[in-house]
Amino acid sequence: MASTHHHYQHDTENLDYSSDGSDDVPFLQNALNPSRRVKRYTRPLIDYVRNEWQSNTKYSGSSPDRSDTPGWVQMVLSIITAPRFRRYAIIYTTLFMSCLLGWEFVLSPRLQEHTELTKSLDPKLEEKVGGWYGTNALPSFERVIQLKKLDASLLPAKEAPESGKESTRRLVVVGDVHGCSTELERLLEEVTFNEQTDHLIFAGDLINKGPDSPGVVDLARKYSASCVRGNHEDRVLLVRQELAEMDAMTDTSGDEFMDGLSTSRAQKDLRLARNLTDEQADWLDACPVILNVGHIPTMGQVAVVHGGLVPGVDFDKQDPFSVMNMLSIDLDTHLPSSTRDGKKWTKFFNKHQSLNYKSSKHADAQATETQATTVIYGHDSKTSLNIKTYTKGLDSGCVKGGKLTALVITDGGEQKVIQVRCNNYLEK
Amino acid sequence: MWFPTAWLLIALYGLSLAAVGSSAVDVDFMSVRPTVAKEYSGKGGEPGPKYFKESDFHYHYDGRFADQELSDDETIPHLSELIRTYLSTMADLGAETWIMHGTLLAWWWNQKIFPWDNDLDVQISEPTIHFLADYYNMTEHHFEIPGVEGGRTYLLEINPNYVIRSTDDKLNVIDARWVDTSSGLFIDITAVRKDDERREQGDPGALMCKDGHRFDETEIFPLRNSYFEGVPVKIPFEYVRLLKKEYGSKSMTATTFQGHHFNDVTEVWDKQRKRQFWRRQPVDVPVRTTPLGPLFR
Repeated sequence: MASTHHHYQHDTENLDYSSDGSDDVPFLQNALNPSRRVKRYTRPLIDYVRNEWQSNTKYSGSSPDRSDTPGWVQMVLSIITAPRFRRYAIIYTTLFMSCLLGWEFVLSPRLQEHTELTKSLDPKLEEKVGGWYGTNALPSFERVIQLKKLDASLLPAKEAPESGKESTRRLVVVGDVHGCSTELERLLEEVTFNEQTDHLIFAGDLINKGPDSPGVVDLARKYSASCVRGNHEDRVLLVRQELAEMDAMTDTSGDEFMDGLSTSRAQKDLRLARNLTDEQADWLDACPVILNVGHIPTMGQVAVVHGGLVPGVDFDKQDPFSVMNMLSIDLDTHLPSSTRDGKKWTKFFNKHQSLNYKSSKHADAQATETQATTVIYGHDSKTSLNIKTYTKGLDSGCVKGGKLTALVITDGGEQKVIQVRCNNYLEK
Repeated sequence: MWFPTAWLLIALYGLSLAAVGSSAVDVDFMSVRPTVAKEYSGKGGEPGPKYFKESDFHYHYDGRFADQELSDDETIPHLSELIRTYLSTMADLGAETWIMHGTLLAWWWNQKIFPWDNDLDVQISEPTIHFLADYYNMTEHHFEIPGVEGGRTYLLEINPNYVIRSTDDKLNVIDARWVDTSSGLFIDITAVRKDDERREQGDPGALMCKDGHRFDETEIFPLRNSYFEGVPVKIPFEYVRLLKKEYGSKSMTATTFQGHHFNDVTEVWDKQRKRQFWRRQPVDVPVRTTPLGPLFR
């Protein structure tokens, strides 16, 4: 009993306590002095049990290491094994992991991209790299028209139509058709194309790859559509020019001496070049590299090109090959690339426009709209439909079984995307 | 290899034997067949001794026609006439040619020769080199040139080793020359050939030059029609891509090159003067003939 007593004394904070050996006494005293009771038991009540449970070795087997391990380990162990802790642990770990992944794969890349793009537009960089794209004297190419302006009478009205009324005029811009004439006709039905009020614009690559290139050109001519020169028109028209120079438009006997015809792609270009009539080829030849549509509310200055444009460079300073083939851009020099070795040009373009024109949005919305440029383009079927604030990508891969896309612009500059499904003409 | 027909044809086409005979090069079947572009025997040929010689005073002059370099002021007008006469001659002959390398880069900037350049690079296709070798080797072409009394005579000379289709023929990577016989300046002409090795590996458009440059047909063909030094010129289809591959992005954007600055208003490369910040422009300064003493230098 003495050992128990000693234990008791040690554990309580009470120092002047004289025990008579009775088990009941402390509890009695507690009842008499409640303020003291609170302080007295600093450990779980079970520890204060004074029967053989604590002292007899026959009970100690159930918790053999309890007395050996330090107190804090016991505490930690008890916390970890608690079901509530486990629950929280799972919740917090998941939360932490999702934060980490979100940072690693979403937030951090976006921040990095933002810094990269902002840095690439810093005028100090121009000095550092020795100059930006667009300073060279643009070369002229025979029979390639760099720029045309769309007749302003074809534009939709500035004001949006009153509710319930139809738009007075519409622009229908169509992405890469690639000879899919059936799909083009279906698309025009889908947008309820009306020759009297609507104007059709093609974003290049009307021809090649698909089943009926001449048919597409005829359809475009029938509706007196506008167009821009795509990389496929560029190739086929150049081959045709060469055929004309060699007087080999119908005569195929000299083909084996022609250069650059080893690939099947070049053979297809050659066949199509011969299949086009003079009228069809002349119509395609008249398609400019850049079509300046003019000003449209909510879009600003609108340009239609096949590949893309570099922001901050005048239309007549944009290299034609790059305009027709652009996929990415070098952030240091702003030189566009026909491969995907740089940053997507659309990201760069949108960042440039928003940096230059968005800041003044609150001050003068109208002025902002006139200054900003919106580009409607095709060419990038891999990215497919890609509608951003200042860039509208319309090539949704019709010829390879994707969709044919039209961007319909109505009065007041409202835009709507309309698509039809296409057959896959590349699968044999 | 010495077929009697070959001899007969050589004589008929007036091929200069002096160019071939003294060298150890075997005149093979290819050189006497004007129509066949490819060598069907499949052999690349053995490397030959160096055919084109450069002068001992400068590697861009032909020592047979000059004993000294031109001054800087004279070089560019000579080069300009050199490329103009070359391009118009090739157009007249119906021989397809296009500009490449440094000349293509100069075209990108302002369609004129770089003021610091002293060479020009053009390419032709394999059928064309055969055609030129068979019919126009060692032909002289005389041109009236405004401001040049008597005009100038240019020589088209084909390297007889052009029939060797291997990059191992390291001393004969230039297939032909267009030489200004008045100054010794010349244009290097390289033939772009089908790269049989890569084509066998499943690359149907592979092209190569003996100087080791490799291309794809889609990069060069179809050729574009543009202008260089005021005359029509053919440009490879994917010129931006080719220039980027060879010289990097900055070559098409950086406005300072070789001590010259591109003036974006006049679109001409201006020579950068040293210490231009404090020195006044020399306007109509009288010419001194007595030397200044060292104190006043």
